[in-house]
Amino acid sequence: MSMNIFGAEATEEKAENARLSSFVGALALGDLVKSTLGPKGMNKILQSGSTGDINVTNDGATILKAIQLDNAAAKILVNISKVQDDEVGDGTTSVCVLAAELLREAEKLIAMKIHPQTIVEGFRIASAAALQALEKAAIDNSADPAQFRQDLFNIARTTLSSKVLSQDKEYFANLAVDAVLRLKGSTDLDHIQIIKKVGEKLTDSYLDEGFILDKTIGINCPKRLENANILIANTSMDTDKIKIFGARVKVDSTGKLAELERAEREKMKAKVDAIAGHGINCFVNRQLIYNYPESLLADKGIVTIEHADFEGVERLSLVTGGEIVSTFDRPDLVKLGRCELIEEIMIGEDKLTKFSGVAAGEACTVVLRGSTSQMVDEAERSLHDALSVLSQTVKETRTVLGGGCAEMLMSVAVDNAARTVTGKKALAAEAFAHALRQIPTILADNAGYDSSDLVMKLRAAHYEGRMDAGLDMNEGTIGSMKALGVTESYKLKRQVVISASEAAEMIIRVDDILRATPRRREAV
Amino acid sequence: MASAAAPAPQAARLGANTAFNDKGKPMEVRLSNMVAAKAISDAVRTSLGPRGMDKMIQTPKGELIITNDGATILKSIQALHPAAKMLVDLSAAQDVEAGDGTTSVVVLAGSFLGAAEKMLQKGMHPTIIAESFLKASAKAIVSQYSSTLAPIAVQAVTRLVTPTSSNVDLRDIRIVKKVGGTIEDTQLVDGVVLNQNVIIAAGGPTRIEKAKIGIIQFQLSAPKPDMDNTVVINDYRQMDKVIKEGRQYLLNICKKIKKANCNVLLIQKSILRDAVDDTSLTFLKRLNILVVKDVERDEIEFLSKSLGCKPVADIEAFTEDKLGYADVVEETNHAGAKVVRVSGVKNRGRTVSVLAMGSNNLVLEECERSLHDALCVVRCLVKKRALIAGGGAPEIHVSRLLSQYAQSLKGMEAYCFQAYADALEVIPTTLAENAGLNPIAIVTELRNRHAMGERNAGINVRKGLISNILEEDVVQPLLVSTSAVELATETVCLLLKIDDYVQSR
Repeated sequence: MSMNIFGAEATEEKAENARLSSFVGALALGDLVKSTLGPKGMNKILQSGSTGDINVTNDGATILKAIQLDNAAAKILVNISKVQDDEVGDGTTSVCVLAAELLREAEKLIAMKIHPQTIVEGFRIASAAALQALEKAAIDNSADPAQFRQDLFNIARTTLSSKVLSQDKEYFANLAVDAVLRLKGSTDLDHIQIIKKVGEKLTDSYLDEGFILDKTIGINCPKRLENANILIANTSMDTDKIKIFGARVKVDSTGKLAELERAEREKMKAKVDAIAGHGINCFVNRQLIYNYPESLLADKGIVTIEHADFEGVERLSLVTGGEIVSTFDRPDLVKLGRCELIEEIMIGEDKLTKFSGVAAGEACTVVLRGSTSQMVDEAERSLHDALSVLSQTVKETRTVLGGGCAEMLMSVAVDNAARTVTGKKALAAEAFAHALRQIPTILADNAGYDSSDLVMKLRAAHYEGRMDAGLDMNEGTIGSMKALGVTESYKLKRQVVISASEAAEMIIRVDDILRATPRRREAV
Repeated sequence: MASAAAPAPQAARLGANTAFNDKGKPMEVRLSNMVAAKAISDAVRTSLGPRGMDKMIQTPKGELIITNDGATILKSIQALHPAAKMLVDLSAAQDVEAGDGTTSVVVLAGSFLGAAEKMLQKGMHPTIIAESFLKASAKAIVSQYSSTLAPIAVQAVTRLVTPTSSNVDLRDIRIVKKVGGTIEDTQLVDGVVLNQNVIIAAGGPTRIEKAKIGIIQFQLSAPKPDMDNTVVINDYRQMDKVIKEGRQYLLNICKKIKKANCNVLLIQKSILRDAVDDTSLTFLKRLNILVVKDVERDEIEFLSKSLGCKPVADIEAFTEDKLGYADVVEETNHAGAKVVRVSGVKNRGRTVSVLAMGSNNLVLEECERSLHDALCVVRCLVKKRALIAGGGAPEIHVSRLLSQYAQSLKGMEAYCFQAYADALEVIPTTLAENAGLNPIAIVTELRNRHAMGERNAGINVRKGLISNILEEDVVQPLLVSTSAVELATETVCLLLKIDDYVQSR
């Protein structure tokens, strides 16, 4: 007889079933993003179920974030891809694909009746060997600035070649390197602002020193201002209201009403005077500046920019070094923002305001142009990936070779390590090596090349000691990645291997999936 | 035996590629994208060229739009398919970039996709096609330059342009639409035309000479502070007082306005209270001041720029130096429509007003769109000062150069370049089709003439034959066609690379 241990609708999947469902979920997800990997990877259309908006992308993290999942293991993969995005910014597809391939191998091993814990142990040994090999292969060129810049350029080019910007990768790689080098070692990408405007073509995008605010200068103000002292504020510029509900004034004549109105104006004027007392010639407010204060400020020769949004004022305060203020009683305590020139510029059909010569010299703006909004959005994601990888590389300066070279290198090392291991663990370690080889296989598959042939050639090359051999995706042959300049960040590759193997281990260990009763929601 | 001498990897690569077998689903997705995109491009195809047809569009609200402007048609189509939506965006981007050529860009994209489809069926890998197309487009742009004419003096084209400016803000050109008259009555106005009419409720003046114009952002009506308020009246004597004080308050404001010698008053619209009430209108009439109300806030900038005055937000700040001066401000009856004109403005800014007239709203709106396109084209000349011939001449020229170049290539690229070149011919073909000519005869003749070295031969749609299109003065700015080719290619490549749809939140 059966007993109800769990509440209604709570479910449990046990042992084989649990494992099966997590393998199926993870593999499905891996297969979904697999085709986006590499320079010849394909794009996906993401169509929003609710609004019908479309989004064209081949960025793993973006795809994975967007899809709805009801599988625990698949959610873990989404999670590691997110972590990868936060940590290094790129390699989000690789990490997910590698984890899925590891699980595919594990499934085979489990079918051979090898205990999951043994597999995990084998994977541990293998990943340690792989990381060691990777570290040994890493090259550090940070001592030589010219060489290092070349490294950065190569990394940017490699990252971008798998994205929508691949046609113009040289151009954007330069752009990204310039932007990152301006940061002078900081990884704070907030200093690099990306403005997207539809129109023109991708190569019309450019890097602009300074900061561009997507707002226009107020009526009646000069459109160009040199040596600006900027007060950045978040204050309401309409009349101050008493915030008590139901407060009202009782008067007995229209004249008194007019006096009241006059008093409100005077109060406003006092506030404007207080603002002008800061010795500024530019006033940027997050909220609206209404007609009256605007004209008062304009009369005082102060350039006004209204409704600059939270993001706008925050960035502006970051790059110009000014504080965001909302009271104006103590001008001596307020830090004003400074910049050399404020002017109105036009991008496409829109007018924007440019602040150049700002206090934070590292600040810069990338203006992205492209034919459609999907194009520009995707370009932004690609550029963001490149920028974050580069900024990480500036910190962790070591680099490794791409094009499947690093994976093959690790796979060879793992194979060698597996030989010295006794027991069933060796099988698992070999499986790990096989999973690593899947990455170049998928790369070749996506480009429509004969993958098994190429990958075996690649492996042979590595055994022969040509440690820089990788896949030349343009020719469909094996080539020297060093000569081709296909470089990737060491941190990225390391993170991919670590995250993927940890996630795989975690999923393999699972032998029971418990699902709580879905929370009831009242019908609306 | 040159082919036998080809390097081995090259051969291996071709061998590998011919064996390329795409999976079922990606192919299906790609084909569905192409079908959808081509459907969109076919929908606008017939409206290309001077003999293009108009489309009637019924909006969900039941309004009618009649247009042959590609961007407008596509904007109104409610495309569901993601690929179709991308083409709509494409045409919008061309609208932003060049303002014209919105139909051509979509027709080109459709044609490129058709070419790509054929190659996909041959088993070529989509990324190879996409890359070759991009290369071909870069090549096409380069060869287009070779046919550009010497930069023609365009400085005089518009008053807005200073020789150094590289862009024009079209917002400085204002198109005022009035129903009445015919399209022929449309004119460029020397001075400023207002959207609004003069208020004549109180019998105020409608014509003022030697006008001093003030733009005010405050209201001429009973005072209303932002605080909640109640006026408490205890007896009827107080009632009289309230009324009297109200009149006094308005009279004071009006007198101050008069004191500053203002005789034309433009009042900004207010959502909080009446911009101007009857009492003050009466006062203003007595003081002989012309009043226009309901000026939108975003018009203020344009008006103050073109009239040379400063907006005033408070009565205390209303002084003579903030006023603008014009010789005449009058409301005239122009072909059945009342129009307020300001002429002889002193210190005018670099702005232009165009008065568009038309017998009904539909014509009027189409007229506005056409004007906008024309203005954009002129702006293109400012951005890039080069002209090329129209009438399909550049497309044929580029197509011919590309196919010549294709013959010097080998491998997949050669195919792709050839297909790209053929796809470019869609423009002259469609032009001929829409003009009721025999497309095959026309296009082949055109190609022939180009091969003979007549680089400027194009389709003369009016006469229905091939002629030197430059002599007919059929020219277009270079930017329009370069941007059309670039944008169409970029979008097609993005579409080609798609192999899956994912439903997301």
